[in-house]
Amino acid sequence: MAEDSQRNFRSVYYEKVGFRGVEEKKSLEILLKDDRLDIEKLCTFSQRFPLPSMYRILVWKVLLGIIPPHHESHTLVMKYRTEQYRDVYHALQVIRFIKDFTPQVEVFLRMHQLESGRLPRNLAFPLEPEDEVFLAIAKAMEEVVEDNIDCYWLVSSFVNQLNNKYKDSLPQLPKVLEQYLNVEDNRLLAHLKACSAVSKLPYNLWFKKCFAGCLPESSLQRVWDKVISGSCKILVFVALEILLTFKMKIMALTNAEKITQFLENIPQDNTDAIVSKAIDLWHKHCGMPVHLKQVDFF
Amino acid sequence: MAQQANIGELFSMLDSSVLLVQEDITAVFKDNLSSDRGPMLVNMLVDYYLENNSQQALQILSTLQEPHDKHLLDKINEYMGKAATRLHTLSLLGHVIRRQPSWKHKLSQAPLLLSLLKCLKTDTDVVVLTTGVLVLITMLPMIPQSGKMYLHDFFGIFGRLSSWCLKNPGHVAEIYLVHLHASVYALFHRLYGMYPCNFVSFLRSHYSMKENLETFEEVVKPMMEHVRIHPELVTGSKDHELDPRRWKRLETHDVVIECAKISLDPKEASYEDSYYSVSQPVSLCLQPRQIDPNAIPYIETHINYGTSTSTPYSTPRLTLSQMQGQLPQILSPQSTRLSTEPQQVAIWSPSAVCGMTTPPTSPGIVSSESSQTSSQPYSKYFSTPGGKGTPLGTPATSPPPPCISDDFVHVSLPSAAATPPKKEDKPDPGRPSLSRQQNVINSEKALEVPGSKSSVNLSDLPEFLGCLASDEDSVEKDREEDAISKEISEITTADAEPVVPRGGFDSPFYHTSESLPASQKKPLSVASSVQGHSLSSEPLASSLDKSGPEGARDTPKQAFTPIDRPCGASDESLAGNRVGQSSMETSILTPSPCKVPAQRRMGFGSGQPPSYEHLFEVALPKTAYLFVSKKTEELLKKVKGNQDEDCTSSTSPMEVLDRLIQQGADAHTKELNKLPLPSKSADWTHFGGSPPSDEIHTLRNQLLLLHNQLLYERFKRQQHALRNRRLLRKVIKATALEEHNAAMKDQLKLQEKDIQSLKLSLQKEQARYHQFQEEHDNIVAQLHSQIRQLQHDREEFYNQSQELQTKLKDCRNMIANLRLELKKANNKVCHTELLLSQVSQKLSNSESVQQQMEFLNRQLLVLGEVNELYLEQLQHKHADTTKEVEMMQAAFRKELEKAKFCVQQQSQRLDASQKRVVELESQLSKKDHLLLEQKKYLEDVKIQARGQLQAVESRYKAQKRITQAFELEILDLYGRWEKDSLSKKLDDEKTEAAEAAEERW
Repeated sequence: MAEDSQRNFRSVYYEKVGFRGVEEKKSLEILLKDDRLDIEKLCTFSQRFPLPSMYRILVWKVLLGIIPPHHESHTLVMKYRTEQYRDVYHALQVIRFIKDFTPQVEVFLRMHQLESGRLPRNLAFPLEPEDEVFLAIAKAMEEVVEDNIDCYWLVSSFVNQLNNKYKDSLPQLPKVLEQYLNVEDNRLLAHLKACSAVSKLPYNLWFKKCFAGCLPESSLQRVWDKVISGSCKILVFVALEILLTFKMKIMALTNAEKITQFLENIPQDNTDAIVSKAIDLWHKHCGMPVHLKQVDFF
Repeated sequence: MAQQANIGELFSMLDSSVLLVQEDITAVFKDNLSSDRGPMLVNMLVDYYLENNSQQALQILSTLQEPHDKHLLDKINEYMGKAATRLHTLSLLGHVIRRQPSWKHKLSQAPLLLSLLKCLKTDTDVVVLTTGVLVLITMLPMIPQSGKMYLHDFFGIFGRLSSWCLKNPGHVAEIYLVHLHASVYALFHRLYGMYPCNFVSFLRSHYSMKENLETFEEVVKPMMEHVRIHPELVTGSKDHELDPRRWKRLETHDVVIECAKISLDPKEASYEDSYYSVSQPVSLCLQPRQIDPNAIPYIETHINYGTSTSTPYSTPRLTLSQMQGQLPQILSPQSTRLSTEPQQVAIWSPSAVCGMTTPPTSPGIVSSESSQTSSQPYSKYFSTPGGKGTPLGTPATSPPPPCISDDFVHVSLPSAAATPPKKEDKPDPGRPSLSRQQNVINSEKALEVPGSKSSVNLSDLPEFLGCLASDEDSVEKDREEDAISKEISEITTADAEPVVPRGGFDSPFYHTSESLPASQKKPLSVASSVQGHSLSSEPLASSLDKSGPEGARDTPKQAFTPIDRPCGASDESLAGNRVGQSSMETSILTPSPCKVPAQRRMGFGSGQPPSYEHLFEVALPKTAYLFVSKKTEELLKKVKGNQDEDCTSSTSPMEVLDRLIQQGADAHTKELNKLPLPSKSADWTHFGGSPPSDEIHTLRNQLLLLHNQLLYERFKRQQHALRNRRLLRKVIKATALEEHNAAMKDQLKLQEKDIQSLKLSLQKEQARYHQFQEEHDNIVAQLHSQIRQLQHDREEFYNQSQELQTKLKDCRNMIANLRLELKKANNKVCHTELLLSQVSQKLSNSESVQQQMEFLNRQLLVLGEVNELYLEQLQHKHADTTKEVEMMQAAFRKELEKAKFCVQQQSQRLDASQKRVVELESQLSKKDHLLLEQKKYLEDVKIQARGQLQAVESRYKAQKRITQAFELEILDLYGRWEKDSLSKKLDDEKTEAAEAAEERW
């Protein structure tokens, strides 16, 4: 009852009018007030609603396991994380892998390599594909997160999640994309097939880099909310929505290379709408996460 | 040029005497005309015709087709301008026009018309004028609407010619004037018929002038007495009658008929439509007149009709009613339909006659059949009132006089041989009626003489008639005139036939034409001398003149035509059949009655026929016509046989006639040259002192005029024939419908009879039904009474049984009562027995009880004694027992108190221990809870620790990685360093070795 009185009586209408995230912020605050943060609830929340940007980093860190669910240990754990970061950074400096002028992204890469034991013997060693992915993600993350340490941990944890948790599902995504494209717009699919561009779509950019470098950060972080909260299928729908949005242009192009090239460099002005539509589409096809309704948050 | 010469030859061959050559040449000319469009050939033909008067050329010219019409008209126009050729040209024009060429509408635009009008206005030659007027009259119906622009020219011509008739400025022979007068009358008639309003206004203006007044009185007024008032004068206007729309839907023959309709002349006027009544009085008036000459047959007529002769108008009506009663059923509807003279119209549908009148249209067989069927009922009808078994005897042979019979055989043989040439297409079956009709005609002729006489009086005909009759005594002339008269008779009959079926024969004209010659024949047959004939004809003619009080009725035309007739009739000595006919006619005509039966018996083989002959005239005037037409054909045949033996049946009678006239004219001129004509001088002087040389010319001209008039009348006849076909079709339809109607009526009657019989049978059935019903009712009543009786019996029986049953019941009750009583008695018996036994038992019992009582009493006594004894003993033993019990009670009481205390103690202990248990249990649960919390907490802490540991572990791992990296680095450095030192060592050794070597060195 106490919670009910706190609720805004207008909240019922917000969603109808089209405002989103008004009540979410409050419910998220309630969620975050719990001493032991409930990871599952946070996951569901993150999947259903867009995260307010002020809590995004915290939620991400919790969801990615960078900080534990207990508030007490946050400072301690963060202290350890910081120390670890500094140690690694220092070590890299010592072994002269990084210099002061080294770009932060590369620093993160080297640190990640070091931590995962894949540090090359020599700086001259060429970068591997996964390092490219890391660099792209790190670059995007760097824009989102200000603090270097947080940023490193987020990038590192994100990449680890991609490599561990989605290891099996990521390669399936192109097929899933084709399937949903067939449902949504089979003419487009037929066109793509006719151009034999289906296999040449920028899957690397979309599914491995999680649209890092493809979408602007403001849109990208909303996608990553879902990815981090445990659904890599959102990537498929974003890709699908990109295809549908630029359908006319794609239809006009008949060359697979041109299509790929266009998709790799899509215009950045309308990405928020694309992402919103993609999320709607995702909800439509995969349904809302049922096991936790909004009522549960209050 | 070769062609030119060739054509010249052709012209010479054109009038070849060989028929085949003629035909070939004609065909060649026609081919040329169809291929050549130039005017040359036409011009040459016209020239040739004007020179040689060639019939072949005329025929070719009159059948010219479209492209040549202009050349022809131009050529004719050219010749029209020349006075010398004018007459010939005009007759040529007349021939062409009467053919009604397809280009006739162009006539109104042709300059020829103008020149014709001019000629009529200016010319002074009577022959030319008469011919021209006839041509104009013929032409007028063909160009009704386009001729209107020359309307005043027409009127002017009329004015000029009418005054000419009176004043005779050219001082020509009066005989010409008669022709001119006739043609002027025809023109008057045509103009009045076609443009009444305009014409009347013209008359009004023209004859209002004083100088013309005389002309009007003398010439125009008599003409006007013979026309009805034209309906257009009332409804139309001057502009309306000139309206092209009025004329558009009228064909040429329509126009002619229109004109004929307004005539009061019964021959001319039509019976059809509303004009029927106009001509009616004429024919009706004839009947009373018939009484005079032949009283007996006429009376018989009226006896047959069952009417009185006093009211002529009532006769036809009564006839009609009688006819309805007596005629067969088929004819009765027809007769009812017709107003006053049903028989004729019904019977004399043109279908019966058409075979004769218009040979090409209707086949002979059909017509013959129809004529037969139609004539038969009438013959029956007419036979019955007269009481004659065979009214006509053998009609085919008997009616013609013996002298004719040869001719009849002559005619009938070819027809029986089934070779129907144009002249002989009259079939045999049609002949009976025809021959029958002859009788009618004969009698009619006889009767009508007075009427015809009266018609002659208008003009000065008798004089001409006498003159002509006396003039033409030469044999050749006679022959020609004979032919002319035949043709005229044919034409007149043809004229009368289609429109005026009866009027043609009732009309004075007909009778004059037929009977006059007959009357003239009488002396001829008796004396067989030309002179006598002519003499006898004169008085007759004069008598005719005087005796006609009703001349006003007759038209001038009728007055004119007789002129021709005497001319021809006077010379009929050669025509054998005429003779026969005339002999018969004379027999009727003769004042001495003794001759009549003799002649008749000769003609018919029976004395009776005259009594009903006039009936045919009333009922079957058409047969008269048939007869006449047949006769004319015979005549033609004869003429042909006489004169044109070479002319086989391929030529038509018309052509034959024309040719005959031409050849007659030629022969006439030749013969005239030969003959000195001595006997004629007296006649010339009688005529008026004209010189003989003029006379020949006059006669020739007269012949020409007659020919022209003849042609004009023939043209009219053709128009009537055209119209006749149309009417014929209507009549056929009407008769078919009437027959259908009659059949339907018959059916209706039959069905009504059926209904009647059915009604009768229905009534019978109803009566039977009623009878049955009554019987049935009787039986039912009987049965009902039986039932009632039986019911009554039943009720009685029922009552009886009821009584018996009550009795039975009573008996049963009685029995039951008795039984009850018996039972009661039995019971009582039993009961008493039982009681008895009980009593006996009780008795025994009481006895034993008494014994026991005695015994017990004894015991009682003994026991009382014992008791007393025990009481004594008891009193002795009663003091110690109460103290002991009291002690024991006290002990027990104490013991109980003790136990109670003990129990109280025990329960207190139990309560305490229970409280303790509860206390301990709560503590336990608290502890459990605590434990759980602790566990949770521990878990929490564990997780926390794990998180921290994870961080630490990752840190440791990082450290491990760092150290590894460091180690790697160190090892690397070591490696390098060793390598460096080794190389240094080697270098040192080398230097040392080198130094040593140097030292050594």
